[in-house]
Amino acid sequence: MAGKSSLLKVILLGDGGVGKSSLMNRYVTNKFDTQLFHTIGVEFLNKELEVDNHSVTMQIWDTAGQERFRSLRTPFYRGSDCCLLTFSVDDSQSFQNLNNWKKEFIYYADVKDPEHFPFVVLGNKVDISEHQVSTEEAEAWCRDNGNHPYFETSAKDSTNVSAAFEEAVRRVLAIEDRSDQLIHNDTVNLHRKPKASSSCC
Amino acid sequence: MEGIVTGKVVYDHEGVFIHSSCGKMEDQDSLIPGILRVLEKDVEVIVDWRPLEETLDSSNILCAVQDSNSVVEWNQTPKERPITEHQNSYEAEWDMVNTVSFKKKYFSKGGVQNPVNNQSQWSFFFSLTELKSIKQNKEGMGWSYFVFCLKDDVILPALHFHHGGSELLLECLEKYVVLCESKQDSRTLLVDSQNRSLSQSFENLHEEPTDSLLQKFRRDPYAATMINFSKVTNFLVDTIRGTDPATHRRPPQEMADFLVDAIPDLKINQQEESGFEVITRIDVGTRPEVQRRDPVSTSEWESYMDSEGRFHNVHHLKTMIFKGGLCHAVRKEAWKFLLNYFPWNSTKEERSLLQKSKTDEYFRMKLQWKSVSEEQENRNSRLRDYRCLIEKDVNRTDRTNRFYEGDDNPGVVLLHDILMTYCMYDFDLGYVQGMSDLLSPILYVMENEADAFWCFVSYMDQMHENFEEQMQGMKMQLVQLSTLLRLLDSGFCSYLESKDSGYLYFCFRWLLIRFKREFSFHDIHQMWEELPPAVCEVLGLDYNAASLSYDTTEDCTVKKHYQTSPSQNSTVPVHPANGTRSNSNLKALPNSVHTPSSAC
Repeated sequence: MAGKSSLLKVILLGDGGVGKSSLMNRYVTNKFDTQLFHTIGVEFLNKELEVDNHSVTMQIWDTAGQERFRSLRTPFYRGSDCCLLTFSVDDSQSFQNLNNWKKEFIYYADVKDPEHFPFVVLGNKVDISEHQVSTEEAEAWCRDNGNHPYFETSAKDSTNVSAAFEEAVRRVLAIEDRSDQLIHNDTVNLHRKPKASSSCC
Repeated sequence: MEGIVTGKVVYDHEGVFIHSSCGKMEDQDSLIPGILRVLEKDVEVIVDWRPLEETLDSSNILCAVQDSNSVVEWNQTPKERPITEHQNSYEAEWDMVNTVSFKKKYFSKGGVQNPVNNQSQWSFFFSLTELKSIKQNKEGMGWSYFVFCLKDDVILPALHFHHGGSELLLECLEKYVVLCESKQDSRTLLVDSQNRSLSQSFENLHEEPTDSLLQKFRRDPYAATMINFSKVTNFLVDTIRGTDPATHRRPPQEMADFLVDAIPDLKINQQEESGFEVITRIDVGTRPEVQRRDPVSTSEWESYMDSEGRFHNVHHLKTMIFKGGLCHAVRKEAWKFLLNYFPWNSTKEERSLLQKSKTDEYFRMKLQWKSVSEEQENRNSRLRDYRCLIEKDVNRTDRTNRFYEGDDNPGVVLLHDILMTYCMYDFDLGYVQGMSDLLSPILYVMENEADAFWCFVSYMDQMHENFEEQMQGMKMQLVQLSTLLRLLDSGFCSYLESKDSGYLYFCFRWLLIRFKREFSFHDIHQMWEELPPAVCEVLGLDYNAASLSYDTTEDCTVKKHYQTSPSQNSTVPVHPANGTRSNSNLKALPNSVHTPSSAC
């Protein structure tokens, strides 16, 4: 993998208005626009970065949060390497909906091994003082639902945004390393001479 | 029953069998006796076979194949069902592959595998225009059988004439089509598609005879092509929707021949494919300078009104609007007509009465949601969700526009209130993202809450299907757009397909909110008043064709973009609203051109 940039597909999911597009824009362009439009359909941006000596192109997919757009959104889930489940800490409903988002993703992304698929949970808008979701609550949910890493972010003041995206990349790379090893361990040595066995056919 | 073909029966024969277990050991159960008929129906000739036992209900036929990927429509009736009906049975996924295969009808593997005791599943009929060939049995078999092969290479199950009648059938068919023996295979009879009697209805498609079309083409190739292209478009759309049985199901070869004759630069793909990919390229030359007229002024607008306020010569007025748009001062009134809130033939007095009663009605509905207490709302999750989303979205709609900018802007509150009231007006549809974009320019022009609401209601009527649960209207439009794009620029179309973007998902936003975010706020006013379907209808243009004429310029931009920056390194495909509409250069670049399969 050395010297070669691999493409990782990362998808941002969560209720409308939790700040998915703002997170993406903050991370990729380091800008925050208070007058941003809500997303219609599906959009993506690319970001090149280096994590632990791996150079990676992250393709971040941003989706429209409303239920009605599900049929447009879900075909894009397939082939994702990581899913960023996003809620807003000032909106408990968006936190409660994380379950549904996770389910929807697993169902449509056709994930082979949902237990080990890398999810990262983002509680956005921590810059707002009135929180409806506490850190403990969010951490508990992450623990109980597969030990997902949790980041409290603010796209507005740039808190933890890079950290969250980079963690996503690390999780994906870790899984790839593991499967590389698996492949390595399972390799049959073709040069080794097989034991002599009597053949019947 | 809908499935039964009615019309003048010109051939009717009992004792025509389908052997449902072809190739296997034949037992009696596998022979399905049926009736074969040939009927004249309007301009069509229908060949229809159905089992004797068939009850008068074909609904089970459609149901039986709903989950088969290869079949969209089994049975075709002269009164075509709108395509939407059978698409509704599809999953909520954007399965364009299925949607595109609309034209197929037939026997699928799924049908063959069905148990034979449900004999009605075998019934079929087709229009003679679709017939490609008939294969006959070898001589000396004891009885005759025919296999019908349709133009889209659908092969129907063999019909066995155990009680004779096959010769009569051929005689009957030869009244309508020329059958000739295939050179390769003497057992196959080919249908000669040059047959004149069948090409009549195709010519109905063109209002003018070919000669004058050619003259026009020589004079002004661009305009002639675009005008006729729009007719082709309508034709295709009709075919897709199946609204007009007269123009429905023309042999592609006929279309190709006709168009090649008419338009010299047209390239036709002779290789017939399923669907409509017949014309592969249409070269319209360079885009001519279009003379735009001045916007319709207040005095000009009023000159179309009689003393009581009725409008006359509306067609001409709409043409003027199409060519130059409206002065902003006229918009407030004119949009009420263009959006069908006010009838053109109403008097001023009638309009003021209408406006009064509609205003009352608006505030009555507004009061409904306004009077919902917090406790009530806690028990009404749908209303709560609508309110929540509307609140979020109006704060994210056109906030850079002076009309909506800043904190506590009354414009934003009005957007919110109108959208909430719309939920009361149409609770099933409720609020869907994109509506705030459609309402915002209307409210800006109307400067009146109730008027803006009713104009919005009319506007939403036009595109209700786009926002419904299955977004059927959007799927349809994307399919149509892709058909048109293939016609206009097949090279670009293939390019997009090679990048897994053939489904044109990236056009979703353009179409859902009528280019609202791809142009500046000002330009959108002009565009919406020039391109409402009502205007296009008058001018004989198809809405999509018209919008695609914008797209063709766009193609180059997109292509260039992808060729020069294939790596898309952090390219920020934002959506700058560009300046003048006259260039109609859509500068926005698709930022989501990948379909699910593009995952890598």
